Amino acid sequence: MLRAAAVAALVVLAFFLPRLLGGTSVVYSTLTTIAIFAVMCYGVDVVLSYLGEVSLGHTLFWAIGGYTAANLSVKYGLNGWSTAFATIVLSIAAAAFLGAVTLRTREFVFSLVTYAAAVVAYEIAFNWEAIGGSDGIVGISALKLPFGVATYTGATQEELWPIAFALLLATLAFIERFRRSKLGTTALMVQMNPPLAASLGVDPRKVRLAVFVISAPITGLAGWLYAYQRAYVGPDMFETYFLVMMLTAVVLVGRRVLIGPLIGTAILIVQQNLLSLGGDWNKIILGSVLALVLIFWPAGLIGLFRRFVKSNA
Amino acid sequence: MSKSIKLAIALLLGLSAPAMAQDIKVGTIFPLSGGAGPDGQSVTNAVKLAIQEINDKGGLLGRKIALVSKDDESTPAVGVSRANEMIAEKVDVVIEGWNSPVTLAMQPILARAGILDITAVSKSDLILAGETNPLAIRINSSNGFDAGVIAKYVAETLKAKKVAFLTQNDVYGNGFQAAVEAEFKKLNFAGEVTTTEKFAFKDTDFRVQLTNLKTANPDAIIVTNSSNSSGLPAMVEQYRQADLKSAFVGAVGIMLPTVFKVAGVANDGIVSADIYFWDLPPFNAIPESNSFVTAFKKAYGVEPDKSAALGAAALQVWARAVEATKSLDRKTVAEAIRGKTIKGTLFGDAQFLPNGQLQPRYVVFKVVDGKTAKLEALK
Amino acid sequence: MNIAQQIVNGLVLGSGYACIALGWTILLGVARLVNFAHGQLYMLGAFATWYAITKLGMPYPVAILAAIVALAVLGALMQVTMMGLVMTQNLTSLMIVTLGLGYVLQGGSALIFGGNPQTLPGTLSRAKVDLGSLWFTWQDVLVLVATLVLYGAVWLFTQRTRFGSVIRAVAEDPKLAELFGINARIVYLLVFVFECSVVALGAALVAPRSPILTSMGFNEVIMTFVVVVLGGIGSIGGALVAGLGLGLFIAFFGAFVAQAYTTAAAFAVLLALLVVRPAGLAAK
Repeated sequence: MLRAAAVAALVVLAFFLPRLLGGTSVVYSTLTTIAIFAVMCYGVDVVLSYLGEVSLGHTLFWAIGGYTAANLSVKYGLNGWSTAFATIVLSIAAAAFLGAVTLRTREFVFSLVTYAAAVVAYEIAFNWEAIGGSDGIVGISALKLPFGVATYTGATQEELWPIAFALLLATLAFIERFRRSKLGTTALMVQMNPPLAASLGVDPRKVRLAVFVISAPITGLAGWLYAYQRAYVGPDMFETYFLVMMLTAVVLVGRRVLIGPLIGTAILIVQQNLLSLGGDWNKIILGSVLALVLIFWPAGLIGLFRRFVKSNA
Repeated sequence: MSKSIKLAIALLLGLSAPAMAQDIKVGTIFPLSGGAGPDGQSVTNAVKLAIQEINDKGGLLGRKIALVSKDDESTPAVGVSRANEMIAEKVDVVIEGWNSPVTLAMQPILARAGILDITAVSKSDLILAGETNPLAIRINSSNGFDAGVIAKYVAETLKAKKVAFLTQNDVYGNGFQAAVEAEFKKLNFAGEVTTTEKFAFKDTDFRVQLTNLKTANPDAIIVTNSSNSSGLPAMVEQYRQADLKSAFVGAVGIMLPTVFKVAGVANDGIVSADIYFWDLPPFNAIPESNSFVTAFKKAYGVEPDKSAALGAAALQVWARAVEATKSLDRKTVAEAIRGKTIKGTLFGDAQFLPNGQLQPRYVVFKVVDGKTAKLEALK
Repeated sequence: MNIAQQIVNGLVLGSGYACIALGWTILLGVARLVNFAHGQLYMLGAFATWYAITKLGMPYPVAILAAIVALAVLGALMQVTMMGLVMTQNLTSLMIVTLGLGYVLQGGSALIFGGNPQTLPGTLSRAKVDLGSLWFTWQDVLVLVATLVLYGAVWLFTQRTRFGSVIRAVAEDPKLAELFGINARIVYLLVFVFECSVVALGAALVAPRSPILTSMGFNEVIMTFVVVVLGGIGSIGGALVAGLGLGLFIAFFGAFVAQAYTTAAAFAVLLALLVVRPAGLAAK
């Protein structure tokens, strides 16, 4: 009871965070960006935490979200619900295909194949003029979410914040449910104790495919919202910038820590915006942090945190 | 006047005095690291110098100009962050753009925040398309105009019968090729386009394409390659190694200093065009250009190239417009530029089309000595 | 003759791919380590060679050796820091650590060597060979010969020497090899040092084709990926065949279809093949 109240209080506080930090459009855009990128990372987090695999292909779903939102809204004037629905359908379809292809692959082969898929998708997006070509699509109009009689319009950063916040909250709730769900616990068992899972008659391949497919629309919807926030979508959605952010945010704090990717994303965005030392030094810092954290605490910073808590207990 | 009123006036003057001495802020967003880092730095240096020139003469509207320079790392997502930072720092104008996708990503953000956005180098036609930035201004030339110059040279001066294209496979390259082919039609070009070979921006090995082109043996090959630091110099060298006899006609603006520096004598005989040369007419007769060249050489040890000139011109155009309108308001300044003529820039009189595009003055040239980048202007 | 020249082109491109891929496939096969810093190591190998030639005045052959030594030392340092993760075979973390190290190398190189393009003088890349209507450079010949010799040497080493069988044992089953008294740590260290040395050699030979930049690396080695998976992970013969084959494919696809889509085509072929045969071409 107390826990639920505390969580509710935190949620309310988080929602009003931009206003508490000054309410300028820059604060809103930074926090909205953090929320969107965090949701993007959660897709990769699901695959890493529950399958133990590193997907290097989630930029594919991120781009599917962005391109779907851009093309459908600019060319056909569809509203936010339709583009979001299309995003979910297309992400699931792409993930089903890619998941089936990688069904028998493990570890680095899985990673390499997902990566190859992203490269092929990038080349297609770059060369296909009809969906944007190398310069992409400009002038994506404001997000429109009709609610019966009224329409919520997300044109400014202030207006997009509640949507981003809601998407982040929904993602967190989903992952929390997933953790306790049959699929989630089964996936963990397959990862941790394959013989036990086999003896219980679990088909690991079905589990793999299901988890992979579920992870895709999460990143896809993040890409969907990003298109409206940035009003511009292009093949840059496939860039290593996003891939590295996904990987870093997910491993920095640790696996199966619910708010881990969120904290990781926030740290990265804050460093890039407020503590930037120039492109070259930023690379050195990011690379060092990534390497050092994983070398000393392979389980992520949460390992350090837990050790600290234990030693003080 | 009563004592209290005098006191009130004195207080008011005292309060407003610091506000008047506050600097005007000019923001620049260019790649300062990564593959395009040296280019972006050169453009930023040029803006810095142009600001210095104005500050030395007393500043703008009686205030000094301060430069806020940021690195977009050639990545649209980073550019967006930098644009947001510029908004937070309340700059009065942003001069940006080396890579088109970065410009396209930043435009809506700056426009929404009401900050004037001047694109210095990025070439995409979408930049002036209007939807995301109704008050766009661009200094570098567009593919449409560029194509006219090259098509005219190939059709009328070279009188080529067989023409081939060696085109960078993206909107920029394909767009330029399409524009040249359209110009050929307009000029009732007697020759024909026999071959098109394409490559990716990041490619550095062109044997396969050059082999095909050698077999086709056209009179001229129109080359569009904007990778001035690696791909294009490699292409020039391989072109000579493959012993192609066809005339190498480069798209407008691709022959930047790094191409000469790296490929050296392999550049001899290349024909191309550009919109600024510090040492060729009509630019070497413009006093603002000459003074800028002298100052640039003194500060940075080399003469300014076209890219640097674009950065400086962006600043000068904006500053003159601000002076003329006595305003820093985005709409006021933009409307004093778009469709108007700004005098006293290093381009001479800068004439702008209503859509914000600066009208270029082309010089077609032939490379006489690639090692020293000695050029000969062609009529 | 267009076709003959394209075959030459294909062999030139392919020997480059094969040369750069050798270290990566062995590292992957023995230590199951995906080295995401491969591209940056390639870039460093090129810059080390450049530095040796232009700043230290070494002749080209000596500069190649200098680059190999420099990168071998760097590789040893990198592997020592990663050793914990390698021994516990924490492959996902390893992958990301190499990614991080690659970033450090890239940022560091940009600060040390600057962002301007550089060329390597004193190589054979401008020494042209004209064989009838065919053309290539002596550098191309050097790359092809060196690649074949290298592959031959490595194959002989792994198949015919005792140390080679030790490496193969560790690749098969590290725990079992340890039971037999083999020090897996040393093997992993040497294999990683080998990877770095060979990519340095590859860079010293192939990079002179075009100007080098500290921002390069990723694109240059992206084909490595295709070569290694197509050839079968850890398979030496497979990597050579796949490398040369890929080079020929790129040349012919580019000549007769569209050069701009060769990357897409190569990866699409890779994906298609992996759907049909997940183990690659050389199934063990």
